[in-house]
Amino acid sequence: MFKTKNLFLLVTFILIAALVAGCGGGQTADKEEGGGAADADVVKIGFLGDLTGDTAVYGQNTLDGMKMAADELNAAGGVLGKQVEIVVADHRYDKAEAANIVQKFINQDKVSAIVGDPTTGVTKATAPISNGAEVVQMSAGATGLGVVEIGPYVFRNTLLDTVGGPATIDYMINELGFTKVALITAVNSDFSVGLSKIFKDAITEMGGEIVIEESLQEGDTDFSGQISNIKNKSPEVIVYSGYYTEGGLLMKEARKQGMADIIMIGGDGLQAPTFWELGGDAVEGSISYCGFSPEQPTEETAKFIADMQAKFNKEADLFNAQGYDALKIICAAMETAGSADPKVFVEALAKTKEYPGVSGVTTFLENQEPVKSPVYLLQVKDQQWTLLKKVPVEM
Amino acid sequence: MGLLDGLLPAYYESILITVGIYIILALGLNLITGVTGQLNLGHAAYMCIGAYTSAIMSMHYGMPFIVAILAGGLLAAAFGVVIGYPTLRLTGDYLAICTLGFGEILKSVLYNVPAVGGAMGLAGIPPKTTLTIVFIVMIIVIISMVRVESSRFGRALVAIREDEIAAECNGINATKYKLQMFSLGCFIAGIGGALWAHKIMVLQPRDFGFLKSIEILNMVVLGGLGSIPGTILGATVLTSIPEILRFSSEYRMLLYGALLVAMMIFRPHGLMGGVSFNSIAKRGMRWLKPGDKPDDKPGQKGMGG
Repeated sequence: MFKTKNLFLLVTFILIAALVAGCGGGQTADKEEGGGAADADVVKIGFLGDLTGDTAVYGQNTLDGMKMAADELNAAGGVLGKQVEIVVADHRYDKAEAANIVQKFINQDKVSAIVGDPTTGVTKATAPISNGAEVVQMSAGATGLGVVEIGPYVFRNTLLDTVGGPATIDYMINELGFTKVALITAVNSDFSVGLSKIFKDAITEMGGEIVIEESLQEGDTDFSGQISNIKNKSPEVIVYSGYYTEGGLLMKEARKQGMADIIMIGGDGLQAPTFWELGGDAVEGSISYCGFSPEQPTEETAKFIADMQAKFNKEADLFNAQGYDALKIICAAMETAGSADPKVFVEALAKTKEYPGVSGVTTFLENQEPVKSPVYLLQVKDQQWTLLKKVPVEM
Repeated sequence: MGLLDGLLPAYYESILITVGIYIILALGLNLITGVTGQLNLGHAAYMCIGAYTSAIMSMHYGMPFIVAILAGGLLAAAFGVVIGYPTLRLTGDYLAICTLGFGEILKSVLYNVPAVGGAMGLAGIPPKTTLTIVFIVMIIVIISMVRVESSRFGRALVAIREDEIAAECNGINATKYKLQMFSLGCFIAGIGGALWAHKIMVLQPRDFGFLKSIEILNMVVLGGLGSIPGTILGATVLTSIPEILRFSSEYRMLLYGALLVAMMIFRPHGLMGGVSFNSIAKRGMRWLKPGDKPDDKPGQKGMGG
């Protein structure tokens, strides 16, 4: 008993010491930086993302893209003659922790800008903080509604669903000639609910007809009920706004119930090998849109893909490209404005026009919404996404 | 108002607010699971009710913050009664199963109600939660918990935990006491949720899943079931450890897990199992007056298995 008590005291002591040291250490650092943060010889950019939680794959890929961009900039002399430093913090997909991190970025690290988070939910929970502190936050991935409305310091660099969705539906109705649509929504995914609304508006507007609407829960595995309802209405195409796991399983079930030729059309949520790993032959011919494709690259994109392959030994994906572009767009705005102070370069950033990035050409509208061109329509062929069409977007 | 705000760098203030909210939430659960021994696996659901209610109150009806907080707490307590009334009459694991189910049901309902934003959630909640408010609420909750612990009500709850049949033989109406206790615990969870909503500014149903309930349960168990100082310590440690370990970046969750395992091996009753503010005070007195006999251990009283 006595021994355990001692041990307990020891552990408590260590914890308290760590707490004190953590706080104390932070505070001294704060003071040191507080004096001359603005003239420090590095430009700090915070990376807000999930490296260990449910959405870790987006976070990690965004970060890899950012590192790539920072290395390139630094090799070429940096921004405004200063080196670019990425401050990394993981929030494991927890909004409270993400809010703390943003405070840390702004007040401890004194970053010039924050890139992240790739998800809409976390972005909405953190962007009001950086907007209030007048620090630029650019999400590389938040496609949902109500992000840039938060304030003038909030940006995003991603192909919006409101651009990609209608472009896909346009192709479906006017080039493939499918008008009788079965629309499926994953009700517990904010991404899917938002995209379904966009799909629905686009379908009705372009003269299509939604013959049946079905819903499912992400995480479900049995979709026989939904598919047999859909089969009864004999639609020409299945439009699904959710992610790859349920997408693959839905198509498998459709084939099982004898819908032999029907294909699935969806958003960039379908973009993962899991789609055909689960769906097999059933997902052949399925179409989705995306803001990035390694096929038919422009000159910059080809170089980026080769560099990513050399540095990280993997094929570049959408989040790599968006993270890379986000950092470079911010740094370009700093160069234009001649300052790394967010209050100064935010104006230059908002005026970014036709920036030739690796994830397409980017323009920010008056309300900070990005327009990215082109939209890539991809189709599954031989268990691989292949480029179907590049749809240019008007700026 | 505003006494404590702006004294600290915003980063520490933000962490302290989070710690304070978790202390409030954990104290509510400690009353249910620690003091009375009723396993509640849906604490996050009551937090969620408080969060949504208060958010709607202040966004759509423009209510003052205090009204929004109380409304959140009251509705959570009402749902506590709805779940507690049928299940608390039974002994055994029924409450655990029901609260677990209730959490899942609530999530599904919220996903399908467009008025609260479905999966997209509620956004644009005014950031009214300040360190001062959290601190005041936390102190009120701590004081009331300490008062409850030493009251007739609190002792009856401990008696129910130790042996429900024996307690009833002594004239304790176990169902009534349990129901009162459960709705009080849910009320506190609702208040914690309301503060949470006005700190995070966005609510999504997925933030209030089973894992959040377990996270709060973790704090209570780590601190010591039934111990108020222990619960406070547990909530503080578990909320601040991820920030303290931030230097170790990707490995910090590994360290976090290892720390939890080590704690449970060396302190199976939690960090401060069986310790109450009373026993701390007594020990303090004994230190001051070393003449008293040191062999009885008030700290170990009242600890169940």
